[in-house]
Amino acid sequence: MIAVQDIRDTARDLLAKNEVRAVIGYRRGTNGMFAEPVVITAAEQADQLVWDPTCFHNLSLYLVEDRKFLKHVKQNPDLPIAIVAKGCDARAIVVLMQEHYFERKNVYVIGVSCEGTGMLDERKLASRGIQASDAAFDGDDLVFATAQGEQRIPAREVMADRCLECRTPCPKEYDALLGEDKTGRELAEPFAALKRFEEQDAVERWKFWERQFDRCIRCFACRSVCPMCYCDECVVDSISFPVNAQTSAEEKANRVRWIERSAVRSENITYHMTRAIHLAGRCVDCNECERVCPVNIPLRLLNNKMEREAREQFGYEPGASVSVPALVASFLDSDPGKFIR
Amino acid sequence: MSHAQAEVTQAEASGEYEPRIVAFLCKWCSSAGSDLAGVSRIQYPSNATPITVPCSGSVSPMYILSAFKKGADGVLVSGCHIGDCHYIEGNYLARRKIHLVKELLGMVGVEPDRFRMSWVSAAEGAKYSQVIKDFVNDLRPLGPQEKLKADRS
Amino acid sequence: MEKILGKTQIDGWIAALSGYEILAPAVEDGIWAYKPVNGEVRLDHGNTTQPPKGLSFPQREVFFSFEQIKGEPPRLTQKLPDAPRRAVFGVRPCDGCGAVRMDKVFNDHVVDNYYQARRSNVAYVGLACNKPQGSNCFCLSVGGSPVSSEGMDVLMTDLGDRYFVAALTETGKALMAAGGKLFSEPAAADRKLLEQTHAEAVAHPQRAVNNLDTVPAKLKASFNSPLWEELARACIGCGVCTFLCPTCHCFDINDENTSASPLKGNRVRTWDNCQFPDFTMHTSGHNPRESLGSRLRQRVSHKFRYFPENFGMPQCTGCGRCITECSVGIDIVTVVNKVTEHAG
Repeated sequence: MIAVQDIRDTARDLLAKNEVRAVIGYRRGTNGMFAEPVVITAAEQADQLVWDPTCFHNLSLYLVEDRKFLKHVKQNPDLPIAIVAKGCDARAIVVLMQEHYFERKNVYVIGVSCEGTGMLDERKLASRGIQASDAAFDGDDLVFATAQGEQRIPAREVMADRCLECRTPCPKEYDALLGEDKTGRELAEPFAALKRFEEQDAVERWKFWERQFDRCIRCFACRSVCPMCYCDECVVDSISFPVNAQTSAEEKANRVRWIERSAVRSENITYHMTRAIHLAGRCVDCNECERVCPVNIPLRLLNNKMEREAREQFGYEPGASVSVPALVASFLDSDPGKFIR
Repeated sequence: MSHAQAEVTQAEASGEYEPRIVAFLCKWCSSAGSDLAGVSRIQYPSNATPITVPCSGSVSPMYILSAFKKGADGVLVSGCHIGDCHYIEGNYLARRKIHLVKELLGMVGVEPDRFRMSWVSAAEGAKYSQVIKDFVNDLRPLGPQEKLKADRS
Repeated sequence: MEKILGKTQIDGWIAALSGYEILAPAVEDGIWAYKPVNGEVRLDHGNTTQPPKGLSFPQREVFFSFEQIKGEPPRLTQKLPDAPRRAVFGVRPCDGCGAVRMDKVFNDHVVDNYYQARRSNVAYVGLACNKPQGSNCFCLSVGGSPVSSEGMDVLMTDLGDRYFVAALTETGKALMAAGGKLFSEPAAADRKLLEQTHAEAVAHPQRAVNNLDTVPAKLKASFNSPLWEELARACIGCGVCTFLCPTCHCFDINDENTSASPLKGNRVRTWDNCQFPDFTMHTSGHNPRESLGSRLRQRVSHKFRYFPENFGMPQCTGCGRCITECSVGIDIVTVVNKVTEHAG
C-alpha cells in the first residue's frame, strides 16, 4: 500500500531543492469526501497532498493547461513541472509526448501505482445507498466513513469498470515510482462492458444511443476534461474559433459550421462520433469523460470501441511508447481490407 | 440536368424512394474511373453525387458524418488500389480510418450496408458502374436514412 | 386553499388533472429528471440533475423561419411555441425560487414572448424539503428556505402518510379543485405537524454563504484580487455549473440554414455559457475574459453582486448542483466565503 507521506515527501523534496517549479497533485476538496486537483508551488504546501480512492481525475489535463498558458505568456521555463500520475495518467502523458505537445524534460512524473486496487465509482457506491464522508484505501478493500460508522467494502465491488479492466495499473513512464507494480492483475476482462453491450442487436443498440444522444445538453464537459482534446479550435464546434486581429473577414465568414449549437440528436451524434474517432488510438480509458457527464451518457463505450479496434485489428496500444507514430498516421500491410470492394 | 438525373428526380417527385448516395472519389483514380464509365456510355443508376477529393486518405470522418447528417442514404469512399496511390501512402491511411468509421457507425446501430469503400482505378469504368449499381440495389430495401439525418423543419 | 391529501391518493389527483401534461421526477439511466408520468408518481427524489428551467427556457428555441424569395425581401414567419399546459410535480423550493429569478429576466419589465408562451403554461407543484436533500444545499443562507413557496403554484409538505397541500395562486387553486373529494380539510393536528415539520426543516444544519448582505460590496472590492485565479486553478471551463443552474440564462442566437437554394432557415436561440472560452471573444480577437479566474469571477459576481444590484435579490438559490456536479471540485460556497473573508 502506498503511504501518502511518500507522495508528500517526494513533492516537498522536489520543490525544496528547486528541481521542479510546481507539483500537480490531489488534495482534499470541500465537496464531501472527494479529492480535487491542486497545483502547489512551495514545499510547505506538500502536506496538502492526498492519495485516496477519489483521486480519479486525470491530472495530465493540467499539463496541457500549463503548456497553453506558457505559450500564451511566451515563456519557456527551464524547470520541469511535476505531476502525480496513475497508470492511465502516465499513458496520457506518453500520448501527449508522442504528439510533441511537450518534451520529456518538461515534465517530472511522480508515478503512483494503483497496485491491486483502483478508483471509486461513486455511482456504484450510491447504488448501495451509502453516503460517505471519507474514503480510504486499505489493501484489497476500500474503507468509508459514514454516519453509521466505518464501512469496509472489497474494492472490486465499487471500483470503476475502467479500473477493473485496466491492464496498466502501474505507470511505465516515470521519474519516481511509488508502490508495487501489479501489472497482470486482471481483475476483469478488458472491454468487458463493451462486449456485453455489443451482444445486443443493431436495433436495440440504436434505440439505446438514440436515448443517450437525445439527452446530451452539449455542455462539452467531456471534451473539456479530456487531456487529448487540446485543440484550440475544435473542428466539430462553432463556439471555439480562435480569432486574432489578423483573421480576415473571409475566414470568419467562410468557416465551415459542421454542427449547429442546437443540442438536438443529429448534432449531438455528429459531435460524439467525431470526438470518438479523433480519439482513436489516443484515448487511455481514464473514464473522466463519462464521469463528468452530468446526464450519464456512457461515453466510455464509444471510446472503448475505438480502442478495441486499435488493439485487435491494428495491434495498437495508446500511450505504450513515445516513439510509436499515431494510430491513424501509420499503417500495416496486414491492416484489414476485406470490407473494401 | 442529365437525362438520367431527371429520371431520379421524377421518381422522387412521384413519391418513389430513390436512395441518394454521396460518393467521395479520389481525383487520380476513382474520379477518373467514373469519367471513363461516362465516356464509355455505360448505363448505370445516377443516384450518386460525386465529390472529388485529392486522395481517399484525405477524406475526414467529418465529411462522412456530415453527408449522413444532410440526409445521404449511403456514403461511398473510393480510392486507388493498394500500392497505386498517387501520394504513395494515402490509401493505406484511408483503409485504417474508414475501418474505424465503419466500426463506430455499426456499433451505434446504423445499418452497415449504408457505408462502403471501394478501390476503383482510372481504367475501371465498368467496375465503378457496378459498384454504384450494387450500392443502389442494396440501399433500396433499407429505405431512407433517418437515424443521423438532421431535422430540417 | 389548504387541504390534506393521503399519499395513496396522489395518483388519483394526477389522473383527475385532464388537460395538463403531468411531469414528475423519474430515474432514467441513473439520473433523476422530470418525465411525463407513466403509472405511479414517485416523490422520493432528492433533486433532479437538471432544474425545470428547460420547460420555459429550452436549450433550443426557434424564433422565426426565413425564406428568400427571388426579387423580394426575405419572408419571415414567427414561430411562437405552441406550449402544452403542464404541471410539474416535486419541484424543490430552490427551483421554485429559481423560476422567480428567471421570470425577473424574461417576464418582468421586458417580456420575452417565447419564454412567456411557455412559462404561462407551466404550473409548479412544489414539494418542501423536510431536510436538506444533499450535502451541498445552502438555500437558507441565500435568502431561501427548504419550505419556501416562492415561485410555486402549489406547495406540498410531506407529513408521513399524507401531504399538506397549499395553493399559492389561482392556477394552484384550480389544480387542487380538480382533485375534488380526494382532498380533505386539515385538522388542528395536521397544522401543528406542518408547523413542526417546517420548523425542523429550517433548523437543520446546512452549508452557508457567510453574511450575504455584505457579499456584493466585498465582491466589488475584490474585482482585481489574485484570489480568483487561485480559486479557479482546477477549473476546466466545462460549463456544467452554468447549464445545470436554475437561474443561469445566457444565450446565443444563430441562423440554422435548412436549404441553400432558395435560402431557407430558422433563427434559433440556444443556451450559451460564460465559462466557455469564446463567450466574450470579440471579432477583433480580443477576449476580455480569457482567463478561467475572470470567468469564475464573472459567474460568482453575476449570482451575488450584479443580479442583486439589478433585481434586489441574489440570483443563487442554494440548490448546490454546481458544487455536486463540478468535475473538479470548484465550490461556489467556498469561493464566495474565501473572497469575502479576504476582502476584510
